[in-house]
Amino acid sequence: MKNNLKVERAINSITQQELAKKIGVTRQAINSIELNKFVPSTVLALKLSEFFNKPVNEIFFLEETD
Amino acid sequence: MKTKFLFPNHFERIGWFILIPSSILGLLNFFEILEFKFLEIRVFAIYSEMFPSPSTFFGFVSNNIANEIFGILFIIGAIFIGFSNEKHEDEFIAKVRTESLVWSVYANYIILIFCMLFFFELGFFYVMLFNMFTILLFFIIRFKYMIYMSKKNLNYEK
Repeated sequence: MKNNLKVERAINSITQQELAKKIGVTRQAINSIELNKFVPSTVLALKLSEFFNKPVNEIFFLEETD
Repeated sequence: MKTKFLFPNHFERIGWFILIPSSILGLLNFFEILEFKFLEIRVFAIYSEMFPSPSTFFGFVSNNIANEIFGILFIIGAIFIGFSNEKHEDEFIAKVRTESLVWSVYANYIILIFCMLFFFELGFFYVMLFNMFTILLFFIIRFKYMIYMSKKNLNYEK
């Protein structure tokens, strides 16, 4: 799975730390999602979607290998 | 984050306070540098066997309980450390914890297999003695190391 969290963050000009705080996770969680090292739970994906006011599938995308 | 089966965060500190002294005293006791003669008492045993004395089944035996005390304290301390909520617990931390646990089981049993092949008799008895504790120890080391690395690997862009 891929994501454009970093792009969304840039658009909203919010740091990893700030986003982490708003969503209620560690900064490592945000960082590892952006590095495609960590697939967030549905709850976390929905929280991010709510925060950026965008549907989940505009932030996260399936890859062919998924 | 709500977590199942984990202790509150402050249990970790309690864990370290138990683990460090109990492992030092346990090792000193094991290598017979320190002896705790006053802990030689009669205890209830479900089963006890020590050649040449006859074995005891559901009875009382004389035993030095120093190693039992330090062993139990080590386990309690290690469990408190490994299974307390981190200060900021989230699903990423939970994933790191689970993966560390898998890793430590592998590492522990790979080492045990190696020791089974190359340690014998009383030598293997000592391996088993340490093996009781290494799985928790490997888990704590791996878990704390992975948390440390994930903090270190944060790329500092704003």
